[in-house]
Amino acid sequence: MLGKLFKHEVKATGRTFLPMYGALLILTIFTKLALTIGAPDFFTDDIATGPVAEVILGITFTLYVIFITALCVMTFVVIIQRFYKNLFTDEGYLMFSLPVKTWELILSKLLVGLMWSVVCCLMLVISIFILSLGSFSMMEVVQDINMAYTDFYTQFGMSLNIILFELFLCMLVSAISSILLIYASIAIGQLFNQHRVLASFGAYIVITIVLQIIVSIILVAVPLLANLDILFSGIDGIKAAQWLINGTTLINLVLCVIFYFCTQYIMEKHLNLE
Amino acid sequence: MIILSAKNLTKSFGKKIALSNVNVEIPRGRIIGLLGPNGSGKSTFLKLATGLLVPTEGEITIDGAIPGVETKAKTSYLAERTYLNGWMRAEDIIAFFEDFYEDFNRIKAENMLKELNINPSDRLKTMSKGTKEKVQLILIMSRSAELYLLDEPIGGVDPAARDYILNTIITNYKENASVIISTHLIADIEQVLDDIVFISKGEITMTSTVDEIREKYNKSVDGLFREVFKC
Repeated sequence: MLGKLFKHEVKATGRTFLPMYGALLILTIFTKLALTIGAPDFFTDDIATGPVAEVILGITFTLYVIFITALCVMTFVVIIQRFYKNLFTDEGYLMFSLPVKTWELILSKLLVGLMWSVVCCLMLVISIFILSLGSFSMMEVVQDINMAYTDFYTQFGMSLNIILFELFLCMLVSAISSILLIYASIAIGQLFNQHRVLASFGAYIVITIVLQIIVSIILVAVPLLANLDILFSGIDGIKAAQWLINGTTLINLVLCVIFYFCTQYIMEKHLNLE
Repeated sequence: MIILSAKNLTKSFGKKIALSNVNVEIPRGRIIGLLGPNGSGKSTFLKLATGLLVPTEGEITIDGAIPGVETKAKTSYLAERTYLNGWMRAEDIIAFFEDFYEDFNRIKAENMLKELNINPSDRLKTMSKGTKEKVQLILIMSRSAELYLLDEPIGGVDPAARDYILNTIITNYKENASVIISTHLIADIEQVLDDIVFISKGEITMTSTVDEIREKYNKSVDGLFREVFKC
């Protein structure tokens, strides 16, 4: 059933995103054209463009930046809106009478939300790649990357891939935990009889503040209680960075579990659709 | 054979008690009217049976099991409101039902849409409220479920469509299935009912067969209802 939920979720969200991605590609090509015609030497050091070209370039670039911002904001909004609207408004009557488990409902929404976030990032990369075409040679890029790997290895004695993977994991887990925080906040809002959306915002703010306080306390308390000099003596900078990255991943993982079970508990035991 | 059973079923929302200590058993193969004034707990009862609400105390079971994936697969619930996505076409929502409910019969649904002159490729948001309700009821009745829970199924549709819908209800369910219809439009559905359950202020005040009422009180269900719930 998870697969079917996933499929219908993609269907329901794709009709918003696909046209946006299409529009992004068109806008990118348009901006690229404007660049090539209006300022062929844009990526060199001495740019010399006429005033008309400057205005046109200015407008296309502004449009481009606005559109990218809108795309990111929309990805975020759709993730929230799908969870709230599809499960806790009238549509919830249908979703909760389906023969599916609560965790399948949550997971399908989460996975599809993550999927679009990743696709959104990919689209941005592709778009920027198209814009910068012609300004660099592929050979040089490959060489630079290889150099970075070699440098890193000679300096730290380990592959750059390890750090990159840990960073990726950290980002992924923190993305999941921020989505689940929103889900939990929406679910907590459902415990109120009225002003539920307001209550969800309240829950979100309170949880964020509490987490901030806890993190601050840890950051202050740990150096006071433990002698970090001993702990970190003999550990080089890269190891310390790894500690930080993996520590963040671990904390976010714990938060994910808490937010997830909080959401599931409320949806199973205290569901009360308006 | 009992399809639905409630034991000491209580549901409260904060201090407000919506259902209080309800005990009832619904056998298979009957059409039951769940009748009561507004706010008497009809919807709450149906939501508890569907699994949209969890009891505060007591329990409700469908075919022996508390509401969950297993019971949702064999109960067909019509909500009191239209829950269909506006952007969907009727055919999209048919595909949705077909995916999730094994007992859904696509041909039946498409035939009923045709009979009511509803175009399957129309988007739901372009339909009137009554038409949306019809679509929803068609979907619900195109399943061969064991228990149908219909919350105000005829509230928003015109009298001509009402007859069609009632006819749909009584001709579309399996012999061993039961239909619970909650409504206050009693006169309209009286002809199809086998049993009635009167509910008032969260408590069941009377359960009886329709025949018994006619014999005992020499009244129609509608007449009795008006007398019992006289303001």
